[in-house]
Amino acid sequence: MKVEDVKAYIETGILELYVLGDLSPAEKLQVEEMAEKYPSIKTELAEIERALEAYALENEVEPPTELRNRVLNSLVTTFADDGKFPGREFLENDDDDEADEETPLRDNIVSISTARENNFYKYAFAASMAALIASIAALFSLNSRLNESQQQIASLQTRNQVFANRVNLLDNEVTVFHDPAIKLIKLQGTPKSPASKMMVAWNPVKKKVMIDMRAMNLAKNDQAHQYQLWAIVDGKPVDLGVFDAKADTTDGMHEMKPVANAAAFAVTLEPRGGSVAPTMSEMVVIASI
Amino acid sequence: MSKNRKISLTEEELVLALRNREKIAADALYDMYSSSLFGVISRIITDTATAEDVLQETFIKIWNSFSSYSTEKGRLFTWMVNIARNLSIDKVRSKDFKNQNKNHELENNVTFIDEQRNTVYKPELLGVKDLVEQLKPEQKIILKLVYFKGYTHVEVAEELDVPLGTVKTRLRMAIIQLRKYFN
Repeated sequence: MKVEDVKAYIETGILELYVLGDLSPAEKLQVEEMAEKYPSIKTELAEIERALEAYALENEVEPPTELRNRVLNSLVTTFADDGKFPGREFLENDDDDEADEETPLRDNIVSISTARENNFYKYAFAASMAALIASIAALFSLNSRLNESQQQIASLQTRNQVFANRVNLLDNEVTVFHDPAIKLIKLQGTPKSPASKMMVAWNPVKKKVMIDMRAMNLAKNDQAHQYQLWAIVDGKPVDLGVFDAKADTTDGMHEMKPVANAAAFAVTLEPRGGSVAPTMSEMVVIASI
Repeated sequence: MSKNRKISLTEEELVLALRNREKIAADALYDMYSSSLFGVISRIITDTATAEDVLQETFIKIWNSFSSYSTEKGRLFTWMVNIARNLSIDKVRSKDFKNQNKNHELENNVTFIDEQRNTVYKPELLGVKDLVEQLKPEQKIILKLVYFKGYTHVEVAEELDVPLGTVKTRLRMAIIQLRKYFN
């Protein structure tokens, strides 16, 4: 655009309408673009603005005094941050007595309400933390008590099983002794071990042979040897099985191999696993029927 | 209340303080511009209570929508006076306002206001009133209709029954007369 064209553009009066806000958005944008391009247009706009501002100033009408506080208070409620309030300095500059009294009052209200809010969250947070800690403590306590209870239950179940087994065992023993055919044979110590003795329960009808582990009084055998029970049938020794003599035993009656007709019972100490024929020199107890 | 105790900042300082939403900015804004803006508002709206309400609305709008003002697009006062004028026109043209107020004859209205209120004269502006009065009558009426009645140039053309181009030329001539004095 030539200088004359710019001048002609200015003379259309569009810049005056721009300053007066009397243009469409499109026209407004055009003026702004022109002002950006041509400094003379920008200068012209500035002069129009200054002239109209002075014109308004020359025609100013002072609003009623009480309106000042009303207007400023309506703005005050929308202040973004009360931390930005200038303190003393602002109050000294303020020429209105009413505002002087009102501003610190307003500041007080703001600070109190802020403090109240802060306290609420502070207490709420503290209460939450306390509740959390108490819950965790209760959880740990309950968990340890639960483990304890489970261990007790397991232990009681084991003991219950032990008692049940024991009752079964004693029941069997009682049944054994209630049979009228039962014979209780007391084996006496041989000259080799006079203190030794043991009991054999024999039911010739049922061919059942049992030894009483508790009523046994035999020297404790080592790992290489075991006691072997023999029955003398028709003058010959018959193997009835091996057993260990233990210092303390919870076992009751121990069933051995069956035999129908025995003339005598004897026990010898044999190598572990037993022998085919008894070692007569190692006989510890014997009893004839 | 003495005038020299009012808060006054440079336009640059005021714009910065308004952007930061400082309390002092609101006070300075009111002290520096309430009379100029009220001069425009109270000439468009003759009812005193309504004019005061609109002045309050104007400051609220300036305060709340300040982020939309840019120094690139012109002076702060230009932006503010257009807000004041638009709010005033909206109020005058609203149905409620029309129902409760008789419309005064336009030209009489301006002089009526000036007679009724205490117009503030500044020493440095003495003689300006005379200058404005010396404008050609056809320039003066257009300036007043546009500036103090919120008429668009199209409405002025219809009201005075003159071509649009003529309205624009006369308005420009009137403002050039003002510039001769102020600039």
